[in-house]
Amino acid sequence: MKQQLAYSEILPNDVLEAKTELYKGYADMLLGYIFEVVKNQEMAEQYLADLFNELTFSDIQEMTMPEVNTYCRLQDIARRKLMSFFNSVDDCGQKLHTNNGTVIRKNRFIDLMDAQQQHVFCGIHYNGKSISVLAHELNTCEADIKKILKESFTIIRKNRNVAGLH
Amino acid sequence: MLQDYIESGVLEAYVTGTASEQEVKELMYMKAKYPEVSIALQQLEIDMETIAKHMAVTPPAHTWNKISNQIDELILRPGDDPQQFQGDREDNNYKNFNTGSEYIEVEAESNHIKVHKNWKWVFAAVFILGKIFLACAIYFYLENRQAQQQIKQMQTELQQLKH
Repeated sequence: MKQQLAYSEILPNDVLEAKTELYKGYADMLLGYIFEVVKNQEMAEQYLADLFNELTFSDIQEMTMPEVNTYCRLQDIARRKLMSFFNSVDDCGQKLHTNNGTVIRKNRFIDLMDAQQQHVFCGIHYNGKSISVLAHELNTCEADIKKILKESFTIIRKNRNVAGLH
Repeated sequence: MLQDYIESGVLEAYVTGTASEQEVKELMYMKAKYPEVSIALQQLEIDMETIAKHMAVTPPAHTWNKISNQIDELILRPGDDPQQFQGDREDNNYKNFNTGSEYIEVEAESNHIKVHKNWKWVFAAVFILGKIFLACAIYFYLENRQAQQQIKQMQTELQQLKH
């Protein structure tokens, strides 16, 4: 049996253009994040390609609306895709050598945090741990974990414009 | 109180995707109601971007090819120049590509067809109308049969009266 599909039902050119723009703007940032999680160059690139391939027109519309931070929405999608990897990540901010010899850079913002702040920030951002899990690990309450997370962000904000960190 | 809420770390939990459903609902309400919360959230999103920019890794060119190739498989660009399909080939099978047809023919292996959801109402209406027509047909058939029997009975009575 033959089916017929009209062009308009498949994919408008707008989607290609929108994906191109998103890729130009955010692919390097997303790849950096995915790299930190999967710690494998080829796999990170494949995850990035899958992420963009699976973006729908409505996803793009939603994330490009005014007052919506497009990068954060893309990172949310990446985070959901990386769920299966989070458990295997054991550290953060470490210098690693990939298969082709590329060195993943150290995250200098993390170096500025104390051990507890690093544990919480990396646990959440790179290891995908929940606040309750971290509270259990550090033998404290969830409110304290949120406060430690806030302190981590305060360090990042204070130093984001400092020369030498970029 | 508002400052306590901002300082509680719930905004940070939200931008890192660890806030609970209840916290997200509450935050969306607070964001809509208080511009201070909205501004604080925007600042945190900028912080997230800062971290990401700091750790950015430029993808190699072939990564984009993986994306664009998949899109190209699904889309036929109307702006394509037909000449590019002809090349030097003598047995040019691409000549018929741009015939003005709006459709791509796809050979499907599935025995199923997809129909629009609205058709379910049409099918329901046809089914109900079918039942109504069937009921009417039975009713008129019985009426007709009864009438025929009455006519026969009257004819018999008339014949008896004549005799």
